[in-house]
Amino acid sequence: MTICGEIQPDRRTRLSRKMRVILFFAFEGAAALLIGFAALFLSFEPAWSAERAQTTFLKPGDVRSGSLLLKTEDGYTDASRLGIDVDITVSGPTVRARVTQIFRNPTQHWVEAVYVYPLPSGGAVDTLKMVVGDRVIVGDIKERQQARIIYEQAARNGQKAALTEQERPNIFTNSVANIGPGETVLVQIEYQEQVAQSGNEFSLRLPMVIGPRYNPAPVVQSVDFRPGGGWGASKSDPVPDRDRISPQVLDPATNAPVNPTSITVRLQAGFPIGEIKSHHHTIKTESPDGSTFIIKLAEGVVPADRDFELTWKPAAEKAPSVGLFREHVGGSDYLLAFVTPPSVEQNDRKPLPREVIFVIDNSGSMGGVSIIQAKASLTYALGRLQPADRFNVIRFDHTMEMLFPASVPADRERVGQATSFVGALQANGGTEMVPAMRAALSDSVGDSNYVRQVVFLTDGAIGNEQQLFETINALRGRSRIFMVGIGSAPNTHLMTRAAELGRGAFTHIGSVEQVEERMRGLFSKLENPAVNNLTAKFSDATADITPSPIPDLYRDEPLILAAKLDKLAGSVEIKGRIGDRPWVVTLPLASAAEGKGLSKLWARRKIADAEVARTTRQESPEDADKTILALALDHQLVTRLTSLVAVDKTPSRPEGEPLKVSELPINLPAGWDFAKVFGERPRLPVTPMERRAEAGEARVQVAALKRAAPAVTAAPNTVQLPKTATDAELRMILGVIFLIFSLVLFAFNRRQALIP
Amino acid sequence: MCRFILPLLLAVAGLILLGQGGYIYAKATLAQILLERAFTESIATGRETRPWSWADTWPVARIEIKRIHASTIVLAGSSGQALAFGPGHVENTPDAGERGVAVYSAHRDTHFRFLQNVAIGDEIDVTRRDGKKFRYRADSTSIVRFDASGIDPLRDGYGLVLSTCWPFEALTPGPDRYLLHATLIGPVP
Repeated sequence: MTICGEIQPDRRTRLSRKMRVILFFAFEGAAALLIGFAALFLSFEPAWSAERAQTTFLKPGDVRSGSLLLKTEDGYTDASRLGIDVDITVSGPTVRARVTQIFRNPTQHWVEAVYVYPLPSGGAVDTLKMVVGDRVIVGDIKERQQARIIYEQAARNGQKAALTEQERPNIFTNSVANIGPGETVLVQIEYQEQVAQSGNEFSLRLPMVIGPRYNPAPVVQSVDFRPGGGWGASKSDPVPDRDRISPQVLDPATNAPVNPTSITVRLQAGFPIGEIKSHHHTIKTESPDGSTFIIKLAEGVVPADRDFELTWKPAAEKAPSVGLFREHVGGSDYLLAFVTPPSVEQNDRKPLPREVIFVIDNSGSMGGVSIIQAKASLTYALGRLQPADRFNVIRFDHTMEMLFPASVPADRERVGQATSFVGALQANGGTEMVPAMRAALSDSVGDSNYVRQVVFLTDGAIGNEQQLFETINALRGRSRIFMVGIGSAPNTHLMTRAAELGRGAFTHIGSVEQVEERMRGLFSKLENPAVNNLTAKFSDATADITPSPIPDLYRDEPLILAAKLDKLAGSVEIKGRIGDRPWVVTLPLASAAEGKGLSKLWARRKIADAEVARTTRQESPEDADKTILALALDHQLVTRLTSLVAVDKTPSRPEGEPLKVSELPINLPAGWDFAKVFGERPRLPVTPMERRAEAGEARVQVAALKRAAPAVTAAPNTVQLPKTATDAELRMILGVIFLIFSLVLFAFNRRQALIP
Repeated sequence: MCRFILPLLLAVAGLILLGQGGYIYAKATLAQILLERAFTESIATGRETRPWSWADTWPVARIEIKRIHASTIVLAGSSGQALAFGPGHVENTPDAGERGVAVYSAHRDTHFRFLQNVAIGDEIDVTRRDGKKFRYRADSTSIVRFDASGIDPLRDGYGLVLSTCWPFEALTPGPDRYLLHATLIGPVP
């Protein structure tokens, strides 16, 4: 510091020192800008040059999609949208429905949209149309594998293509490839179904959403032995297609409902109608000519989050007890017969006492309104027991509990005990239905003085239906299974098939108000004798009848018979026994009325029969598949083995543009509890693992089990906002602090040098 | 001599930081001038006009709030690079004047600093690249997390959302966003 030491501290130098400080600041300011510029150019230049190289090859749109791809890593989900319009025509016994799905692509990419949706389990899907602009492309029926190859080929070539596949008899997937940016593609499917009848009431049910299914974990957990032999096959995964039936489910707490749906029903019942009722939606009904009714949703559009159920009753006191319809297709005649057997009161002999096993599903999917409905139904059922009856209650989630070790007499004390057991149930955990069914079917008492009935209350939200069917088939013995479908979107396929295999009946309860009415209906089935030993014989024609053999009928159930005939002549004689009395009815075929789509219904029933025969091993899987395939190709139906595929001949996606897959999310069925199904909601800042761990060991396991099931998106349909803060201010403040500090140090050093 | 090294190092570090901060502001201000020019040109020609030859974005709209004399040119996309020069039109949201909710986003300390001065009832004019001008009225504000904005860009109605980081005075980036919701009054001739 020798230079500094030479300066003398007089007035003039002090003044110049002030000047120097000012100069120093001015210089620093200028230097700061210069250095800053230099530093930033240095750091930005390489990035820019890299992007410039890209832009010479691609259009501006690509740069944007590139930046969007970065967004995907941040968890951005693109928002392909869907609107649904359902147009249903009821003509007499049949329902023809046209479901139009409007796929809108609001993104900048070419998108492949995948939508998993439910249809009635008895629905015969026979038409696929794709509307692109003003062109309509009609789909062809193909074997499933072949259809997929055609579709994927078209998707690669940039052609618009649509594919309809069956995942379960009531779950279908529509895939639409190459929807351009901002484009809308319409996909239309049509299906045929028969009207359901129960006593005096006719109904149709349009499922709109799939309840998230519980898919048991893929562990080798069961070995099936064929009766008699010592050999069995161990099963690896109970739900091999778990990914295909588990679409994303939106959390209703953080997302607005998606998939707006409008419904129109044209009802021509064929008889004067007294009352039309929609059970879960408000409707507007108008009748332009007195015989046709047009029913629309009062709100216009509703989110697809619950089943649409419409019932109608004839104006007359009694519904027509016989209906006979015919259709001539491709050289064959098809016949559909509805016969309601008379209800015979049991007068002289007291009915046999019953042994009733109630099984109630208290898994997480039953959370919310469903468990309330189930508990109310079961409480009602317990109240209907007679002192002579025996009963037991089983509850299950991923665990299982039997109230009594074996069935007990239904005395007041035990029924009271059961009622409080049911009242205390909470919906939580997984859905391991098979062990519960196994326990319910284990007939340890085997007392033939009692009629053994299993009443199974569930929403059927499982993916391993086939395992349950095989259990029923192997263990049913003399037990009869009555399924009670609970909630806004029960798995109808599981209910119908389980009841069919269990030779019982099924009923739906969609709201608390329906509990009493429906349970009363179920009990009249349980308490009254079934119509059994049913046979149908055609006098002249050779007929292929389905169902075969004809199942027993319960109180208020009509016999629905479909047949393929070589000629429409003579009559059909239906015989059976009601309790212990014979019953016979003869219908002349000439009086049958013209119906529509009966051949499809017949084929659909035959396919269902073949699937049942495959489950019950009455037919080898290969033979059953061959039958199904032949019927499906013949009648143009979508089945487990066949799909509809439509391909637009002209390619639309330019070569080189990527195709993004967008799996469309679905709503949570109304009344379900999101947290109960999926565990804790995923919240980004907090790690959910810690929170679950606090809740105890059992919860952790449940949550882990549930995680294996459907993927949950937090918020795909809201805009993710970009980062909008620079650190300019922070940098500048830091910079100033550094400078002041350096100045202070500098001045301090000088002073030290000046005053040694 | 060694006594000078520490203050000198500090001074250099301070200068670099100050310069970088200043550069961000300079860039934001300078770019707007170039953008204004490019936007005027694109209204005239109807084509995407890049403000400078190597730009990876282009102006798509002008936002004006007359009462507080605020005006800014919006760029396509909301990548970090675009936001350095001007507000960004968030991807997958419709254009102003179209059905749905148009979302524009910008830095709280540069282009959207004026958002804190916007009062409910203020008129917001948005001029699109095709020259059409739409007037919106600010009707509410909200503070949300960036990943739970609750904005459905395809909902019914005609809306506009201006978004920036919250709080305005904070120095470090945070997860919260300040939203100004506005509804379309109609086109301005």
